[in-house]
Amino acid sequence: MKQQELEKTKEYKYGFTTDIESIRAPKGLNEGVIKFISNIKKEPKWMLDWRLKAFNRLKNMKEPNWQKPKYPKINYQDLYYYSAPKSTKDKPKSLDEVDPKLLETYKKLGISLKEQEKLAGVAVDAVFDSVSVATTFKDKLTEKGIIFCPISEAIQKHPDLVKKYLGSVIPITDHYFATLNSAVFTDGSFVYVPEGIRCPMELSTYFRINASETGQFERTLIIADKGSYVSYLEGCTAPMRDENQLHAANVELVALDDAEIKYSTVQNWYPGDKNGKGGIYNFVTKRGACRGNNSKISWTQVETGSAITWKYPSCILQGDNSVGEFYSIAITNNYQKADTGTKMIHLGKNTKSKIISKGISAGNADNTYRGLVDINKKAINARNYTQCDSLLMGNKCGAHTVPYIKNKNHSSIIEHEATTSKINEDQLYYCNQRGLNQEEAIGLIVNGFCKEVLQQLPMEFAVEAQKLVGISLEGSVG
Amino acid sequence: MLNFEINSKEIDKIEKISREEKDFRIKNLEFFKTIGFPNKRFEDWKFSDFKNIVDNNFNELAVNKVSNDISNIDLLNDFNHNYILLVNGSLHSSNFQYEDKDKIKISSYNNNIDYKVTKNPLVCLNHALSENGYFIEIKEDYKFKKVLVIYNYFTEDIKNKILNNKNKIKLNKNSELHVIEYTVNKSKFKFINNSYEDIVLDDNSKLKNIYLQNNKSDGFFHKFLRNKLSSNSDYSNLIFSSGLKFNKLDIECDLVGEKAKCNILSGLFLNKDEHQEIKTRINHLFPNCKSFQKVKNVLSSQSKGIFQGKIYVNDIAQKTDAYQLSKALLLGDHAEFNSKPELEIYADDVKCSHGSTSGSIDENSLHYLMTRGLNKENSTRLLIKGFLNDIVEFIKSKSIKRFVERKLEEQVNGY
Repeated sequence: MKQQELEKTKEYKYGFTTDIESIRAPKGLNEGVIKFISNIKKEPKWMLDWRLKAFNRLKNMKEPNWQKPKYPKINYQDLYYYSAPKSTKDKPKSLDEVDPKLLETYKKLGISLKEQEKLAGVAVDAVFDSVSVATTFKDKLTEKGIIFCPISEAIQKHPDLVKKYLGSVIPITDHYFATLNSAVFTDGSFVYVPEGIRCPMELSTYFRINASETGQFERTLIIADKGSYVSYLEGCTAPMRDENQLHAANVELVALDDAEIKYSTVQNWYPGDKNGKGGIYNFVTKRGACRGNNSKISWTQVETGSAITWKYPSCILQGDNSVGEFYSIAITNNYQKADTGTKMIHLGKNTKSKIISKGISAGNADNTYRGLVDINKKAINARNYTQCDSLLMGNKCGAHTVPYIKNKNHSSIIEHEATTSKINEDQLYYCNQRGLNQEEAIGLIVNGFCKEVLQQLPMEFAVEAQKLVGISLEGSVG
Repeated sequence: MLNFEINSKEIDKIEKISREEKDFRIKNLEFFKTIGFPNKRFEDWKFSDFKNIVDNNFNELAVNKVSNDISNIDLLNDFNHNYILLVNGSLHSSNFQYEDKDKIKISSYNNNIDYKVTKNPLVCLNHALSENGYFIEIKEDYKFKKVLVIYNYFTEDIKNKILNNKNKIKLNKNSELHVIEYTVNKSKFKFINNSYEDIVLDDNSKLKNIYLQNNKSDGFFHKFLRNKLSSNSDYSNLIFSSGLKFNKLDIECDLVGEKAKCNILSGLFLNKDEHQEIKTRINHLFPNCKSFQKVKNVLSSQSKGIFQGKIYVNDIAQKTDAYQLSKALLLGDHAEFNSKPELEIYADDVKCSHGSTSGSIDENSLHYLMTRGLNKENSTRLLIKGFLNDIVEFIKSKSIKRFVERKLEEQVNGY
């Protein structure tokens, strides 16, 4: 490898591209492209109608512009909305049939699908550009009645479930990017956990953008039926490119009575180079509905990548006694920008929510926490606790907190606190004195700062996330 | 639905203004006309849909002049004070019997040109139409001996009017002034008072302001305060303005010198369908400045309290110490509290924090008091008093403190 490339991979080790033959839809956003996507996925007519309905709606919508990080106008006609590796056109039945090049790619990313298949623990669905390339552990899950498959497969095999729940949490009319996703989504994961089942392993999806000039529009739908439990992880990476690539996903979670969903994200899309060139625009809509009584949805996110992160994983607490949680670490370095947070909408009685957000900003980056806590009139005895802490490194970066707190119920209690500070000199000095260099010391202190959130991650991800926290801040001090 | 139209002829009626100023006024009026009263689509008006409020309460609104003749006014006799009397927003008279008159300059304020065009429609309306406010300037090194009460008096005949007035307070180096702004509303009708206040504090000067009113009122008040605090100056604003049908205080503070200090405190008791909003924006533009905000709301029946506070810290404003706390006590089934405590920080060596809580009266405290023989109503009152007392404690002068406490008690006992 050339010296220059070596230097580059040091900054972002997932920045390679895989040279693989792919099939693409024609460039641009129009009815033809939507029909192309629907056709190539052999979708039933109702699905195509649904997409077209969203597309018609999109024509009259405007991009939102209230966010803090501004970006140049996206030319939606200059993007490919579908790109898939050629070799998986006829879907492989087992991993042996998967293109070795693809498997190699995932191995490079640290997710050896084969290894994962042998070591029990995590079932992986790998999404490469617009399609799912492999899902492991299918048999074991099927045994328990759990459905874990690409959403395109679910549309064909489980149309009733998809029809019932798709768009029920994020309606197609929600906002520009959600509507765009509804029209052109290509793949993503579908999970259904039947009544009373506790999913025996972590379910995981690994998203990879490979092709250039491609937007990734994945759609994930997770349904936890009465009394069930599921823990789901997602990870994402993309090659280093000078262009900005759009990633606009929709994730919908539905928890029925007594069910619990734990959703963890380690987002490490390509953040752009040191001068802020390139990187992914990560404009994602994630929303969960605690529909049943005593249900629980917990979001955990570690956001270290992307040029711009703009997302608010939310909980609609409809059922009585339902619980919503949001744990977040957002790290921005160089010219990265993040505007992230959550919405907790309390509708049912005795609903509880907890928000822990840690923002770390270095270099020329901007980091915003934006959140909403809305206690409805009928949400008797609702309870919310919010804590947002920001850490600043250097005086060229920014840390912002924009919480919206609405309380319409006199029996509810809301607490919100936020602090902004820099790394404590004393702590640094102490670490240095014990023989740690500056970077190691900062890594240690930042990990301590984030501990409350890191603890929420499943073991497999926690180690990775901890390393990521250190790597993301490399070069931010000196 | 209100059909509110203003003709630019209203500006022609304003006397003694330069061509330049007239253009400025017309420009602002045009801006107001394109937008009208702000609705909740404006981020700053998200929780107070002023257009909706105006539409629901007024069938007609006029901007034409009102007379400012009154025969007599009952002055406060709780403590000795100087006063300025404003009638329907216009400067009527003043009295500085306890002070050295050479050190004080007071005049009618009509200057309407040194202002930036803003995007706040109500401020634009004020820029377009305001006249006859007051301008007070305190000379260098002069410290007021007694408090200055500004009687903001509204006459009985004010009905379906929108009154625009603009005032300015300037404190030169090392001067000091204590002000109580006391609203007396004799009108039983609905009207809007839209005012703008410009406050300039030079190095080492000190201004303390208390907002209060005499009685409940059906008036709709909007006030924009623009403060510029120079090095080592000290500004405090204590807000106790309960009992108004609608009140929005929009406070913007620029800390433009090192070690400037800014305190904004509020203790409110809202009842019935009262709607009260405090919006602040503290701009820390220089190092070593300090800002402190504490807003406490007690909300009963169907009242609505709002706090939108923003702390902005510029990248050179190192060693900033900024604190913000909003607390609400919800008593009524239909009461509502909304808050948006915002931080925007670009400097790293700072201490910035905010907190916001809202909830009901603590059952344990209530239980404790009731076991001591107080009935529920009195226990609740005592707890409310304790909750608000925190803010009253900031008043140093005993006589003024007693006066404010009495006024607050009047509010709470109405509960």
